[in-house]
Amino acid sequence: MPRAKGGSSLLALAGNALPALLAIATSSSAAAVPFTKPIASYQISCRLDAEKKAVEGTELLTWTNTTTRSASTLQFHLYLNAFRNTFSTFWRESGGEHRGNRLPESWGSIELTRMTLADGSDLLAALTYISPDDGNPYDRTVAEIQLPRPVGPGETISISIDFRSRLPRVSSRTGWKGDFFLVAQWFPKIGVLQEKGWNCHQFHAQSEYFADFGDYDVSIDVPARYRGKVGATGVRVEERALPGDRILYRFRQESVHDFAWTADPGYLVIEDVFREPGVADTQIHLFLQPEHSRQAARYLKSVKEAMSGYGRVLGPYPYSTLTIVDPPWGAYGAGGMEYPTFITGGTHRIAPESVRSPETVTIHEFGHQYFYGLLASNEFEEPWLDEGFNQYMEARVVGAAYGIEHPFLEVFGWRVEVHVPMRTPVDTNRRYFAATTVDALASPAWKFRNRTSYGAHVYSKTALVMSTLERLIGTPTMNRALRLYADRWRFKHPTTVDWIAAVNDATGHDWRWFFDRTFFSSGAVDYAVEEATSERANPPKGMFESDGRLEEKVPRELAAPRGWDTLVTVTRRGDVAMPVEVLLRFEGGKTYRSSWDGEGRWKKFRVANGPKLAEAVVDPGEKILLDLDRTNNGRLVTADPRAASRWTARAVFWMQNLIDFLTLAW
Amino acid sequence: MVRSRVSAAGCFGRGLKQSLSKPYLAAWLWLMQLLLATVLVLPVSNALHSLLDASSTGSRMVADPDYGWWETVRRTHPDLLGKLPGEIEHAVGVEGVKSSGLAELQGIGATAISLAFLGIVLHAFALGGVFGALREPQASLVVFGREGMRRFPAFLAFTLGAMAAVLAAYRWIYLQTGEAWRDRLNDLDTEGQAMALTAARLTAFLLVAAAVKLVADSVRAIWVARPDLPAVSRLFAGVAAAFSRPARLLGVLLLYVLSGAALYALWIVLDPSAGGEARFALVPLILTQQIFVFLRSLLKVGYYAGISEALTRVPSPEYSYGPPPAVDLPLSVDRAPDETPLEGPSGAI
Repeated sequence: MPRAKGGSSLLALAGNALPALLAIATSSSAAAVPFTKPIASYQISCRLDAEKKAVEGTELLTWTNTTTRSASTLQFHLYLNAFRNTFSTFWRESGGEHRGNRLPESWGSIELTRMTLADGSDLLAALTYISPDDGNPYDRTVAEIQLPRPVGPGETISISIDFRSRLPRVSSRTGWKGDFFLVAQWFPKIGVLQEKGWNCHQFHAQSEYFADFGDYDVSIDVPARYRGKVGATGVRVEERALPGDRILYRFRQESVHDFAWTADPGYLVIEDVFREPGVADTQIHLFLQPEHSRQAARYLKSVKEAMSGYGRVLGPYPYSTLTIVDPPWGAYGAGGMEYPTFITGGTHRIAPESVRSPETVTIHEFGHQYFYGLLASNEFEEPWLDEGFNQYMEARVVGAAYGIEHPFLEVFGWRVEVHVPMRTPVDTNRRYFAATTVDALASPAWKFRNRTSYGAHVYSKTALVMSTLERLIGTPTMNRALRLYADRWRFKHPTTVDWIAAVNDATGHDWRWFFDRTFFSSGAVDYAVEEATSERANPPKGMFESDGRLEEKVPRELAAPRGWDTLVTVTRRGDVAMPVEVLLRFEGGKTYRSSWDGEGRWKKFRVANGPKLAEAVVDPGEKILLDLDRTNNGRLVTADPRAASRWTARAVFWMQNLIDFLTLAW
Repeated sequence: MVRSRVSAAGCFGRGLKQSLSKPYLAAWLWLMQLLLATVLVLPVSNALHSLLDASSTGSRMVADPDYGWWETVRRTHPDLLGKLPGEIEHAVGVEGVKSSGLAELQGIGATAISLAFLGIVLHAFALGGVFGALREPQASLVVFGREGMRRFPAFLAFTLGAMAAVLAAYRWIYLQTGEAWRDRLNDLDTEGQAMALTAARLTAFLLVAAAVKLVADSVRAIWVARPDLPAVSRLFAGVAAAFSRPARLLGVLLLYVLSGAALYALWIVLDPSAGGEARFALVPLILTQQIFVFLRSLLKVGYYAGISEALTRVPSPEYSYGPPPAVDLPLSVDRAPDETPLEGPSGAI
């Protein structure tokens, strides 16, 4: 619950007394011990020019070569150059759209004006732009620096950089709208040096980021009208008035791999604390738009549900702070994004609780504090490890906290729930089924055929794969695997291989076959009951042995009244094989269960002289959530026309209403 | 001398009375819609029976819809509906629906829209019958048919003209402003402002559509009420009549829309289709549905009668629906304060 009672008093408190409260709350955290040894640490001082929509800064980068090889070059991300012109790889790949919205023609860029080593030697002259992913000669999102002398294994260097960032109108995860700023991907950021060389990808339309952990100390100088309305990654350790009607905020955070900040004089700033037994408190800062003030409690409840839900499975959230940003109208491109200890949500002015916005987006973005934040997988190369795993966990947390979901219609901007229950996670991830065989899931983010396929596979297919695995091995074992993975790879860069190893270790079995057929395959799963018949068993005819002689007479024991002969044929229509169960349900309530390894194209099940079959179902427990057509999974022996008749009646009725509606206006 | 004020509610109420006194008019509208809709029975029924009868999913869907089944069928049988569900979603969305959406329709979805267009044509015929029969004290279904046929060419032209005007308004007032203002909408400070602008676009369109409808209905009413005038004069008299009593006509339309919405709200709340056989067996369900459609048709006839009431009840008694008064009354007796007498010779119709 928020600290103050009542909405209005809470907001008043946030507006006036917040800086003092924050100073008290955060000072003890300022000297926190890093959770991991820093590799790339940044000290940045920057100044926001709110009118020019620009940030000028000086950065002191301290970087350690943790590989066994010397580095003669450095590579840097200069992400804001993705918005430099329409020739950038980002712009080309996006087709001028982001999340279905047209990108505004508002340009952004980042320029380096000085780059020197600690001894003062200039590095800027040796800067070249490279395009390791697509060879685009116009892309300026990755720069390479030739060092005057290589950095040896274990050696640490410091580089001082002056930069000038011009922000675009918010379109894709960063930028401004009016006085609102979401400043992300805004400073020169070093790539990740691996044994095989630099891992420093260009800025793509469909991918996110990858960086090393380090400690951040960032001072932000903004106009005084932003007093108390600046939020950022980490803990605020200083607020200081500056000459010229300006104010400086300083934030520090250890053991993170990125830094983002926001400023908007219109924010309502709401404070709260997440408190759970056995876990250190987390200070929650909610930067809310005034027109969403009624949704503050919903934001806070959902993020606490997320902190509790994710924490119980993956281990406690380790940081002392979390900032939630609610972007304003017209800046939704800044919403639904994650940075370390800093997430952006998003909601609408009219948001019925049944539609669950902002809840789901808040839970999802918080989940990225694990899948991306702590388990810092490479979002360029293996995006399913963050987005897909998070989609899976989000469904679990949302399901546990809020129950059944419903689809909704947007009626002239007003979201209206349609009273049809959706089953989590299969119904909420149905977009996968529309793009089942378009791509293999295990593809780099920018190599999916299109945005639809990217979303269908990276998010939805992964969530369905994970849920299928959970149903096959059981929730407790799944939780063990997740926890093992999270504990092993916290503050590191795990890969898919590491996840599979965690599953194998948690289950004691080799599950590579499963991932080969899901993560590394573009095949579809579809099992069907092709036929299910049950016929009165015919009395036997022909010649039978009796007292050692062959006679044309049916022995008494075989001539007794007989039951029903049942034949069920289950087929595998998809390319991908999975072990499945088959359930035969007989009249009178008897059931028969069998399993099939699913490898062949079909399998027949026969029951002779038994009760009459009522229904045959393949995968009755709905374990294989990747099955793209569940309507063919069960078959009745005796057709039941009731549903079709009732829905036909409905269709006729709707048609009558459609005719009437279309004659209403003329 | 009694000077009575003719209110919109009074007109609508009298229209409903007229509708109830001649229920076969509503019955004809109901029958027309039913017959058109039953064209779909066989394709829909066959498709559903083949998809559901032998499927285990079917037994679950007797009572309630199944989201997974619906999504799967849309995906695996695109030939059934085409993009009709998506177009309906667009139609109620901020983006709106475009005529190019017709090209995306297939199968039953395309047939449904074709039938709806046929319904519009038949509706033009029905309106001729409704307006004509309402004026006859001893009307019958035969009179309805005769009146409908007699006025069909003119009424079809009115219908198509009104349809073109409303679609043009939808395109130029609603869709085009949305396109033109898309970026400006994002520049507004709050979503509330953007919603207000969308509401303004929608209201402007609805007002224009209402005006078009009222003009078309006025023309129809006068067309029937003044057969003595040349066609062009009737047309202009109808348009003039609409503009001479805008508040009353709009009031009748508003009452019709509100009562229709209330009827739909009641249907949605009660939802006889849901809950399966425990609530309504198939035959009672169909009967309930058809009673709803009939009630809605009664309202519709009531609306048209109300419009005629509002336009032609006064000042000339011979234009009213009841039998001619025994004594000629001065023109001012039944005239509302805001009313202008209709031009033209009075006489038997």
